[in-house]
Amino acid sequence: AGPALSQDQQQGRLGGLKLSGDQPIQIESDKLEVREADSMAIFSGNVSVVQGPTLLKAGKMTVYYAKDGGGSATTGSANIDRLEVEDKVFVKSETQTATGDKGSFDMKTEILNLTGKEVVLTEGENVLTGCSLTANMKTGLAELGGCGGRVKTLLTPSSQQQSQ
Amino acid sequence: MPQRVTKPDNASRVAEFHQAQHHSRRVRWLKVVLPSVAAVMALGFVGYSYVSSPAKGVDVDISSSAVSDGKLVMASPKLEGFTKDNLPYSMKASRALQNLTSTGIIELEDIDAKLPVDDKNVATIGASRGTYDRDKNTLDIPSEIVVTTTDGMVAKLKSAFIDIGKGDLKTTDAVDIALKGTNITADSMIILENGKVLVFEKRVRMQLSPDKVKAGQQADGGTNAAN
Repeated sequence: AGPALSQDQQQGRLGGLKLSGDQPIQIESDKLEVREADSMAIFSGNVSVVQGPTLLKAGKMTVYYAKDGGGSATTGSANIDRLEVEDKVFVKSETQTATGDKGSFDMKTEILNLTGKEVVLTEGENVLTGCSLTANMKTGLAELGGCGGRVKTLLTPSSQQQSQ
Repeated sequence: MPQRVTKPDNASRVAEFHQAQHHSRRVRWLKVVLPSVAAVMALGFVGYSYVSSPAKGVDVDISSSAVSDGKLVMASPKLEGFTKDNLPYSMKASRALQNLTSTGIIELEDIDAKLPVDDKNVATIGASRGTYDRDKNTLDIPSEIVVTTTDGMVAKLKSAFIDIGKGDLKTTDAVDIALKGTNITADSMIILENGKVLVFEKRVRMQLSPDKVKAGQQADGGTNAAN
């Protein structure tokens, strides 16, 4: 039988998904719709967000702005409340990739959440699959939640030596 | 692929993650992207400023007018009025030419318009020429338009068709919009409902420069303290 993890969730640093503040960010998509009244902006069609080595891809990315946040969305001073990505979400950093069906990111709590029938987190040859990935972007701590309690993990011996 | 599975112990894997991420400890990704995407909302001004149609009376003064080869030529026409939100706007041109046979069409040269986005922000719009259709209340500008706002945004369009009555603007040529370190380009743009909805299509690209990104982080510092 495959290795059964004692813990339900696998904890680990996921700093790889962070961005460096000194590099430009490029967002591309087929379409962008900005809805002032609903305080939201929808990027759709081959959405890709790139900063340095970090890449996010999704079919759609919706950005929600805080309604009460004062500042008018027109002049860009409105605060962002949360962001949702869906439709084949793929996140890649220098060392890790994560894929899922849907993702959301809450600005205040800085929690990134990736869910799907199969959320796969890969680093080198280490592959972890589960049903939800929760990463705190402040601390970089990530938890991969199992589907009904069990996380499938594949570790290849060589991966141990590599990372020492 | 063959699955060679070994008995992993938790600590080594956590250590692996630590090592992998040690170098990027202080960096924050999504948090950085999002505040800058807010700048996208700034685009609302383009439609809002252009198409905020005058509510109150409008007075037009023309310094001199003459008729030459079948056209009424008005020198430095000036249109002033107030928008629904009681904010002043003005539109000047160096010349306006009205064809005597089809009086509905007015050719404008060197358009210079000042349209309020809100009480603190005014958009200045410049275009070398445009055709105003009085019956349809539309303004067709075939050449480059430059829009600048007091809060520092610069938008360049290659052309625009503005339905003033409906409050829509359409362009099927490239747009390039820059605001405080954010830059957006696309090959077409539509503004609907007086600037409430903006749709960019075809090769939409948004570029955020690092200094803008840092500003986003400081702004967040504030919100963090709040929770």
